[in-house]
Order: sequence, then structure tokens, then C-alpha cells
Amino acid sequence: MTVGRPAVRRRGGGPLGGEGRWALLFLAPTLIGLAVLSAGPILATLAISLTSWDLLTPPKLVGLDNFTALLSDDRFMKALRNTFFFTIVSVPLGLAIAYGLALALNQRIRGISFIRTAYFLPVVTSTIAIALVWQWIYNADSGLLNQALEVVGVSPQKWLSNPTLAMPSIIAMSIWQGLGINVIIFLAALQGIPQELIDAANVDGAGPWARSRSVILPLLTPAIFFTGVLSLIGSFQVFDQIFVLVKPRPTDATITLVYFIYENGFKFFKMGYASAASWILFLIVAAFTAIYFWSQKRWVHYQ
Amino acid sequence: MSETTSAAQPRPAGHRLRSARRAFLVGLLVAGGLLMMVPFLWMIMTSLKARSEVFSIPPTLFPSTPQWHNYPDMWNALPFGTFFFNSVKLAVLNTVGQLISCSMAAYAFAALRFRFREPLFGLLLVTLIIPFQVVLVPNFILYRLLPHPTSASGNWIGTQEPLWVGAFLGGAFGTFLLRQFFLTIPRELADAARVDGANPWQIYLRIYLPLAKPALATLAIFTFMWSWNDLIDPIIYLRDLPTLTLTAGLSLFQGQYVGRWPLLMAGALVSVIPMIVLFILAQRHFVRGIAMTGIKG
Repeated sequence: MTVGRPAVRRRGGGPLGGEGRWALLFLAPTLIGLAVLSAGPILATLAISLTSWDLLTPPKLVGLDNFTALLSDDRFMKALRNTFFFTIVSVPLGLAIAYGLALALNQRIRGISFIRTAYFLPVVTSTIAIALVWQWIYNADSGLLNQALEVVGVSPQKWLSNPTLAMPSIIAMSIWQGLGINVIIFLAALQGIPQELIDAANVDGAGPWARSRSVILPLLTPAIFFTGVLSLIGSFQVFDQIFVLVKPRPTDATITLVYFIYENGFKFFKMGYASAASWILFLIVAAFTAIYFWSQKRWVHYQ
Repeated sequence: MSETTSAAQPRPAGHRLRSARRAFLVGLLVAGGLLMMVPFLWMIMTSLKARSEVFSIPPTLFPSTPQWHNYPDMWNALPFGTFFFNSVKLAVLNTVGQLISCSMAAYAFAALRFRFREPLFGLLLVTLIIPFQVVLVPNFILYRLLPHPTSASGNWIGTQEPLWVGAFLGGAFGTFLLRQFFLTIPRELADAARVDGANPWQIYLRIYLPLAKPALATLAIFTFMWSWNDLIDPIIYLRDLPTLTLTAGLSLFQGQYVGRWPLLMAGALVSVIPMIVLFILAQRHFVRGIAMTGIKG
């Protein structure tokens, strides 16, 4: 790529050419990690998914049986549906709220950094601690939410055990927890917008709403794209909340893909079955990410 | 809504409207900020209440008499001191491992020329997108195959090793973050050192690492946070009380102390405080790290 540095190139050699030997040294840990912990195991997951294996007896090759079994497994279908529902609701909603907040927070007001910190604190706290409080907030008997609703005359709800309310309750908590990270990315992007552009929009007489839509929003699309990727990938990994807030058995109303994998792999020790589900998770994330990256041509404006 | 306000025509009416809108906005932001803090506030208040008081009707925000003994009660109900130590130990090991292995890889990708550099970097970026849960099963099987001298199972299951050894084998996020930073270091610095006879290892140690301190700090904080907050790995790999982390310990505590909200909240608060303190001390690095990966990506 870079134009000639012949002295260096002659000295190099090795399988990677150029400064290959040095590169091999620096990359050794990463290459081992790729082979045994991340990229390699993706292929291993595929191989294991073709077997029936409880770890106690040797694996038996069963072909695609695990995959056909998954498709007729009610619990797996529910996990799929819940994961999609979680993604489709929480990602756009989380981004929209964060966008509005970032616009509002992007100004010089005394104490603004304190407010920003408030929005960011949930991001750094563990989901288990957060889920414990929310379990208490959502408590059907005398949780904070029901008590607050009682003041305005709404009857108490079983937020976590009512199948129709459980998933929305978890989504609300997750949006609350993840808001800060998107806000920070948006704020950083907003601070990168040249003041002249905003001034020019002011001269045109654009009001705050029009200004936001026609000037700021297009400039923020790279940041929106990036936060979208993060939220999308994160949303397919929902586990901690489910593990702490609701034990998905027996209602199934809140089981997610990762919980399904965890349960089959590490509670029932059905390694083949869990691997098949993992591989489907991988395909779904890959497909979503590919579509999302492909879509960026249509709506992301890089300067 | 208020098209009359425009900076081009600074009329008194516009000013008044604008400052009114501004005040409204600030009010909204403060209210929102408070709303964000409510769960934390509720955590603190509940942790100091008597058990009977948490269900009192009408509800009270403040405990009538703060029950400070809830904290020692919680701390002694399970070996929380051990859990705390384990969480610190694992977070430190993970942080050190990531700093070493990611900075080495990032240096290779940013400053060395070799065949397959771009495809290798591409492969690494792909693993950034893959949820790690996809490889839970093969990783578990791998650790089950590795012999361990002191564990009851004879392999790595039930030991803390699976929770930190991988950190020394690189990582997509850290490598990407540090590579972005290394690319901003002028090549002339390395070239000058090379002329003086320095090899790549010396250039990495004496030029790149010292200049990358801010980015290394960012990676350190993120790794510490992820390790501290990790739940799924500890519950998969750890079995015995003395090995548990705070998150796994809390999960166990939750099962054993159902409905004892003051103690549960005290436990949650203890696990959260170190991260909040770290965040407040290092807020700058958090923000920069997120902005750096997000914007220059």
C-alpha cells in the first residue's frame, strides 16, 4: 500500500512477507484467540450442531435433526418471536429517545454535565444489580410503579408475570439502561457539526424542528448508523435481564434466543441442540447486519 | 412551533420566547435526569429500610430509622468479601490481558506492512459483530478438555481460568480502538527511531505505547467494566462459593433471599458502587472511547 521502503522489505520475509516475522510475533496472541476462541469455534458450533451430545457419552452424528427439531419446538419459536419483538421495539425506540435527548443536552447550560452523568450511570452498572431494582419497582404487590399508578387511579398490574406486559416491561428497563451510550455517541457527533452550517440554517429562518430535520439529522446519520449497529447486535444478545427478572419457565412469555441456548446447553447439556440454536442466532445476526450495512447507501450521508 | 424565533432577527419578543422555551427544556432535562436516577435512589432507600417497612401503605421514600445493620447482614449472609475480591481479581487480569494482547495486534495492523494484513483485520472486525454467545458451547467444550491440576473436575470447568485466560488472546473491540489511535501517531516518529536502529518491538514499547496512554486508559476502563458486570460466564463456569464473582453471588443471593428487598438492594448497591466511582473518576475516558470508536469508525 505505502510507497516503497525497500530496505525494510528486503530484510523481512517469512510467510506474511514484508515485516511478516514481526507481524507474526505481535499477532500471535490474536491469531491463537481467533483460532480457538472466536472464529474457529463458529465452525465448531456448526459441526457440533450436527450431533447429539450430552458430554457424558460420545457425540452421535444426527445430520440436520437438531434443526428440524428446533423448527417444531414451541419454546424455540417463542424465543425467536420474543427476540425479534425485543429488537423491533427497543432498537428504534431507544435510538429515537436518545436522539431527542442528545439534541436537548447539546447546549451550554450550567450543570449540564451533571445531567449527562445521570443519563449515563445505568450504562456502567451491571444488569443484574439494575434488574434487581427493577424487579422491585415492577413488584406486583407494592412495587414503586404500582404505587405511583395508584396515585393517579390506575389499578395495579403484574408487570412481570402477565404475559402481555412482561416483554414490554423488560424492554422499558433495557431502553432505560442503554440510553446513555447512544446519547454520548450522538452528542459527540453533534459537537462535530460545523457551527456555520447551523448558522446558515438560522439565516434561512429555519425553526428548531425544521433545522433538526433538514440540517442536523442528515449530518448525524453516520452516528445513527453506528449506534444502530451496536443496539441491533446487543438486542439479539438479551440474556441478563431475562435471567434475573423473570424465570421464563413456565410461561415462556419472555424466553429469548440466548436464554434458550443457555438453558439447553448448560442446564440440560444438550450441546448439539444448543449449537444448532447458536448457529441460527449467528445466521440471523449476520443477515440483519448485512441488510443493515447494505441499507446504509440509501440513508447514511458521509461527508 | 416557534418559527418566529430566529437568530437573524433578534427581536425582544423572540428572545423572550426563546428563553422561555429554553427554561422549559432545562426543566424537562432535569426531570428526565431525576427519572433516570429514581431506580438508584429507590435502591439506596430500600436498602436502609426495615423489612416490614418496604411494604408499608402509603409508601415512604425515606426509612423511618435507617437500618444500617442491613449492610453487615447482607455482607455476612454469603461470603461477599470473597466475591468482591474475585471480581476485582478477574477484572484486573482481564484488563491487563486485553491491554497487552490488543495493543500488540493493533500495532501490527497500524504500523507494520505484511501480506494478508487487510483480510486479517477484516476477519477480526467480523468477530466484533458476532455475539459471543454463539460460541458458548464450543468454548465450554474446549475448557472441559484442558487439564487443570487443582480443580475437582480435573479440567477448567469450575475454575476461574475460563473467565480471564481468553483476555490475553486479543479482542476485536480493543484492537480496533487502539489501531484507530495508533493510526493518528505520525509515522515520522517511528521512521526516525528506525534510522537510529530501533526494531519494531522497541518502537512499539518506546513510541507507540507511551503516546497511546489515553486510548489505553479507555480500553482499560471498558474491559474492567465488562469483566465486573459479566454474568453469563460466571454462572456457566463457576460452581463453588469461594470462586464466585459479585454478579454470580448476587444471583445466588437473589434465589436464597426472595422477597427480602432491603438486603437484596444492599447487595446490589455494593456491587454497583465501584463502577459508579470509577465512572465518575474516569468519565472523560469513557466518553472519548465511545466517541472514538463511533465517529472515526
